Amino acid sequence: MKLTIEKDVLLEALQKVQSIVGQRSTLPILSNVLLKTEGETVSLTTTDMEVCVKTSAAAEIAEQGGTTLPARRFFNICRELPAGQVEIEVDVKDVATIRCGPSFFKLVGLTEEDFPPLPEFEESAVYTIDQNVFKEMLQKVSYASSTDETRYILNGSLLSFKDEKLTVVATDGRRLALVEQEVEFSEDAQASLVVPTKTLNELIKTLGEEGLLRIRVSAAQVAFDFDRILIISKLIEGTYPNFQQVIPAQCEERIAIDRETLLNAVRRVSLLTDDQTASIRLTFGKNKLELVTNSPEIGEARETIPVKYEGKEISIAFNPGFLMAPLRHLDSDEIFFELSDELSPGVIKTGVPFLYVLMPIRVS
Amino acid sequence: MPAKTILHIDMDAFFAAVEVHDHPELMGLPVVIGSPPDKRGVVSTCSYEARKFGIHSAMPSRTAFKLCSHAVFLPPNMKRYHEISEQIMEVFRHFTPLVEPLSCDEAFLDVTGARYLFGDGPAIARKIKAAVLEKTGLTCSVGVASNMFLAKIASDLNKPDGLTIVPDSEKGIAAFLAPLPVKRMWGAGRKTQAILEAHHIRTIGDLQTVAPAKLAAWVGESAAASFRRLAFGIDDRELATASEEKSISNEITFDEDQRDAKVVEAALLDLADKVGMRLRRAGFYATTAQIKLRWKDFSTITRQRRLDPPCCDDITLRETALELFRKEALHSPVRLIGFGVSGLRLTADAPQLDLFQSPEKKTSTRREALSRAVDRIRAKFGRKSIQRGSNLNEN
Repeated sequence: MKLTIEKDVLLEALQKVQSIVGQRSTLPILSNVLLKTEGETVSLTTTDMEVCVKTSAAAEIAEQGGTTLPARRFFNICRELPAGQVEIEVDVKDVATIRCGPSFFKLVGLTEEDFPPLPEFEESAVYTIDQNVFKEMLQKVSYASSTDETRYILNGSLLSFKDEKLTVVATDGRRLALVEQEVEFSEDAQASLVVPTKTLNELIKTLGEEGLLRIRVSAAQVAFDFDRILIISKLIEGTYPNFQQVIPAQCEERIAIDRETLLNAVRRVSLLTDDQTASIRLTFGKNKLELVTNSPEIGEARETIPVKYEGKEISIAFNPGFLMAPLRHLDSDEIFFELSDELSPGVIKTGVPFLYVLMPIRVS
Repeated sequence: MPAKTILHIDMDAFFAAVEVHDHPELMGLPVVIGSPPDKRGVVSTCSYEARKFGIHSAMPSRTAFKLCSHAVFLPPNMKRYHEISEQIMEVFRHFTPLVEPLSCDEAFLDVTGARYLFGDGPAIARKIKAAVLEKTGLTCSVGVASNMFLAKIASDLNKPDGLTIVPDSEKGIAAFLAPLPVKRMWGAGRKTQAILEAHHIRTIGDLQTVAPAKLAAWVGESAAASFRRLAFGIDDRELATASEEKSISNEITFDEDQRDAKVVEAALLDLADKVGMRLRRAGFYATTAQIKLRWKDFSTITRQRRLDPPCCDDITLRETALELFRKEALHSPVRLIGFGVSGLRLTADAPQLDLFQSPEKKTSTRREALSRAVDRIRAKFGRKSIQRGSNLNEN
């Protein structure tokens, strides 16, 4: 294999695929990126056996072929190269010679034959959605998924294509984020799938601001096609919990709060929570909200902010991290906080079809 | 049910009652325990018959003799009283491990957890009174309340052989306290009483109505705050139990070192059951389970596992015990096997509430209900009245 490629083009392509490469993978080949010439382009593929990312870049191909190179080192080399043309030549023993201006590298690779083949993909449904719309949906909810491997089904987000809309849900069992978007698809393409958080993070990183995204679903996998990128991911098998039942049908009180004011107040007050029982108490009174935390060993923090509220006084405690997460990922100026009492879930809503259900912390 | 159920148990004229019990011929006579009437010294305890003549504890024995010259004066036999005291405390500990003895003849019991097993506060109080009477032939007076202060006041109201139950509601508590004299309150000594008396405060009810600022001016800020809390029956102290339980464990040394894994397993399961029962009786949930194995050569290992969610049921404890045991290779005969739990908490629930009830939590709740039902059957009909099928061939 022999090719010449613009340094910036190569770097951009590597950036898209290198982040899923494991640092301590059990199979050495999984630390490598697969390079393969395809006509006038070179494709780059990485996988951790769960997620597979493939992209391609325009190159001047002098000799067709393929190899795999240690992804992290190849990326680091590429990042440090001066601007200009990069010449890559690979011999039969998969040793790559990389030349760029005055720089010269010999990088030892592994044969492409050992690289896991792209998964076979038999799609049963196809959806199309704007890249930026899908990216925003993921940003608004995916942080709420669980990292606790004992509840594996919650280690991803639910994508439900149903009733002419896409609903994305993530929960870790204590809080739940949900966002909806109207999407066109045929009646027989109704489906729900649970996509691993790792895959969604890749998407958030690589999805662009414009252009379409094609989502293809098979029995055990999902593929995302956009621009020159293909991401294929395993789905999480199992039954996603019935999230509808934990969304309160109606709350007793509704409070309008400026999002940034609340976020900043929670951030400041949470500086004095102790790690053991991270909780801050929110007391809603007439047109004001008082945030308090105190612990005998650390001290006390207190802040009062204006809100729009005329209802009964409610005092409720939340984990500050859980409270800040949706506020960080929303962009509306004002949010609505719906509450009933100190042991019932709180709900954060905005003008758009988004909601966040948060269970309180019991304080004696 | 109130958040907590506390009993205060006070033996009736303890020393005198022991003497009368040991010497039935004294029955019905005024009995005074303390210094002889011709020596300096005071009355330690006297029977209710002697109290009718005006004799009371701490009174000089000479004075007592003047009041009732035909009273029987006996020197205290402390060794004997402590012996009986031990029996009484043992009865208490059968109902709950949370016992705070105040002296040899009175104690506080936190029976909050024991309610699952023995019924509500009054029911437990009746059971304890019956058990003490059966074991020692003596009577006691019990106060049942939601805190220590109220329980202590209550036990003293209907002596001897009394049972006083303080209402649970705020209103009920205030009404219960209102007619009582101020001196019943802790911290209200003679000096304070005199000050309050000067302002016509005689009952706790008077104290409930006086303005906090006035009270503070009379007795000082901190005493006023404390009196106001007590006047409304507020007291959130925890019992100072001698050995606050941080772990519960049990172990057994085999008569002969055991090679047979089945025999060791059977012993381990039996220990797990016993520990489980103690755990539930104490009203705790464990977050860690541990086994202990001592080999023939006395080398010892322990292996532990986290319990999530925290639990107190036999099934989970047995499963965990077996799982830990079966991971170990029996490379030499076993001398001792032990099982214990630690990280004890009063609730199985974390402060952060959950959106969904996890399947583990559901199972754990069902298992707990089952284990507690078995406990109740055993409490009523004896330990062997209900057993696992797998245990039957041992018996």
